Amino acid sequence: MKQLLSGNEAIFQGAIRAGAGYFAGYPITPSSEILQQAAARAEEDPGFRFLQAEDEIAAAIATISASLAGAKSFTATSGPGFSLMQEALGWGHAVEAPCIFVNSMRVGPSTGMPTQPAQSDLLQIKGGSAGDYYPIAFYPNSVEESFRLTVTAFNAAEESLSPVLLLFDALLSHLYEMADLDAIEVAVVPRTKEPLGRGQRLFTGTAHDRMGNVKTNDPEAYRDWLNDLKERHLQVADKYPLFEYFPGKDPDTLLIAFGITSRIVAPLKERFSIFRPIRIYPVLEKELKKVTQPYRHIIVIEGNDGQYASWAECAISRKVMRVPCLGGGFKLRWIQSQIEERLKGR
Amino acid sequence: MINRSYKELLKMGRFPHTWCPGCGIGAVLKNVAMDLRELGWNDRNTTVVSGIGCSGRMAGYMNLDAVHTPHGRALTAAEAIKTVRPDLNVVVLSGDGDLGAIGGNHLLHTSRRNPDITVFCNDNEIYGLTGGQAGPTTPKGTKTITSPRGEIFQPLRLGRILTTQAPYFYARTTVYHLNHFKACIREALLWKGFSFVDIISDCIELNGRRLGFKTAHQMFKWFDERFHIVEGMRDHLKDDELGIAKREVEAEEVPMGKVEVKVEVKHEDLKTFTPEELKHFDGSEGRPIYIGYKGKVYDISASPLFQGEKKMRCHIAGKDLTKDIEIAPHGEDLVYHFPIVGRLKE
Repeated sequence: MKQLLSGNEAIFQGAIRAGAGYFAGYPITPSSEILQQAAARAEEDPGFRFLQAEDEIAAAIATISASLAGAKSFTATSGPGFSLMQEALGWGHAVEAPCIFVNSMRVGPSTGMPTQPAQSDLLQIKGGSAGDYYPIAFYPNSVEESFRLTVTAFNAAEESLSPVLLLFDALLSHLYEMADLDAIEVAVVPRTKEPLGRGQRLFTGTAHDRMGNVKTNDPEAYRDWLNDLKERHLQVADKYPLFEYFPGKDPDTLLIAFGITSRIVAPLKERFSIFRPIRIYPVLEKELKKVTQPYRHIIVIEGNDGQYASWAECAISRKVMRVPCLGGGFKLRWIQSQIEERLKGR
Repeated sequence: MINRSYKELLKMGRFPHTWCPGCGIGAVLKNVAMDLRELGWNDRNTTVVSGIGCSGRMAGYMNLDAVHTPHGRALTAAEAIKTVRPDLNVVVLSGDGDLGAIGGNHLLHTSRRNPDITVFCNDNEIYGLTGGQAGPTTPKGTKTITSPRGEIFQPLRLGRILTTQAPYFYARTTVYHLNHFKACIREALLWKGFSFVDIISDCIELNGRRLGFKTAHQMFKWFDERFHIVEGMRDHLKDDELGIAKREVEAEEVPMGKVEVKVEVKHEDLKTFTPEELKHFDGSEGRPIYIGYKGKVYDISASPLFQGEKKMRCHIAGKDLTKDIEIAPHGEDLVYHFPIVGRLKE
């Protein structure tokens, strides 16, 4: 049955479809509706547990611990809360706990502009916690796709045994669209990790070997462990090389946009080619190289000051032009004028 | 003959352990393991959770599924595990810096939510692993490497934090008072709900020596001088007392969101006051303070705002204040707190 629902509702429904049994969170606009739905669900369904934590630090730790205990778990927050979750994100990779972190982005830094939409937490996916880790992150651009990608994110988490990130923005969180979720068929990867109480394992954030023995003074054991982790994550990421590409009339110019920005620049599809990465991280290196190759001008339009643009430059070893939509300003006319300005005289 | 079967619960292959000779943590680990063994708690029904620091390493030496969390987050992790898996016994082994300082907020809120977990806090009044910095429980005046002239602040009393909640279980013991220590462990493990054992322990290498103690044994004698055991039921423990302070669920808790229903006295049964009679009750010469409001007379003598004087800013005692309160910034709710003593003559 078709129904009108918001991005936040679709994410929650997606999590339920994927078999989620635990949610921990802390209220923060624009992700609070996910927390509210979890509270309501926990009342009805004894198999679903919920914690409204004292802060996002606790929410993230609880999400990962619940995963170790045996439940498919997830949490949802926004930029400032995601900053507090960074510690747990690193820990989640170290203890190899499959779970989902939803980050509905708003303008930062710090409290920023509550609650104007932004896409400015891309670097936080990868760079917020100490040390090396290789997270997988997806970014939908519609209500229906939020549902699908939530299930995909849960699947990728189970396969990679790590926290997987679902990026979102304030506009998509509260965007209402028609969708028929029951008609959407999705494959669900079941839990394979043994829950707690089945052995004598140590789940630790301290460096350890494959057996879970603490090794704080053994570079070789650390290298082995990290290489294993990296290889596994990149392999799983390769299973989901998700993107969209629309060739346009202009043979020289390619626009790169994702999330809500890709919806806003969609009317330019007639004229320019548009590339929309859906798997935001690890960066779609092969795909970007192939798609961008024939174009002279590449313009990245995003709700931050060039975060994806710098990743794209690294991936394709070329300079790209940037149109940063800052402070929650995502007006098509303004974006269009900026594109014209960049292309002037070229 | 000493029963050594508790060793089945310890990873003996990983010994010698990481702690210094004379450290109290060994006693904590051994006695907890002995009691778990006696209660039949094993790797199928028990999970240990620990934080960071010397004491945080305890979980890694147990032959149980163990979760070694980031600094301060042990309680949150334990609560989430217990929520998802009520079938597991969850035991937290950590220290005073981890639970009291960086994890202080979680201590406050996890104890408030009262999950059925048991916490053993190795309280050595110092940050040991990092080299002997002052901690939250370091007694005032103690010289440490971060308080070279003596700690200037009062120590955090963990018991006082916990006993503000109801129900609660807080035990204080030391590694020296062995029988008392064992009794506290047993009672805490069997307590239904959040139980916390504050185990005063020694850190001879990084605290004791600086305080002038030559051996761990001298520190134990110091514990013997500082503390004495108190028997029986207590609500609180004084700073020099060892014992158990506990309270079961309070007899009658008013469910949240439900306001007490007051028995209304029939309007006709009330004594009538004329404006002149009312004027008499202005609080002077030991008379009560009455005011009129919407046809009723209230005794507001208990209001702190009317103490000492007849007037409180613009409201005059002994008068019908219906019109005054209508325009006052506060609502009429303020009036309803007070008992009705009569009605105004129409």
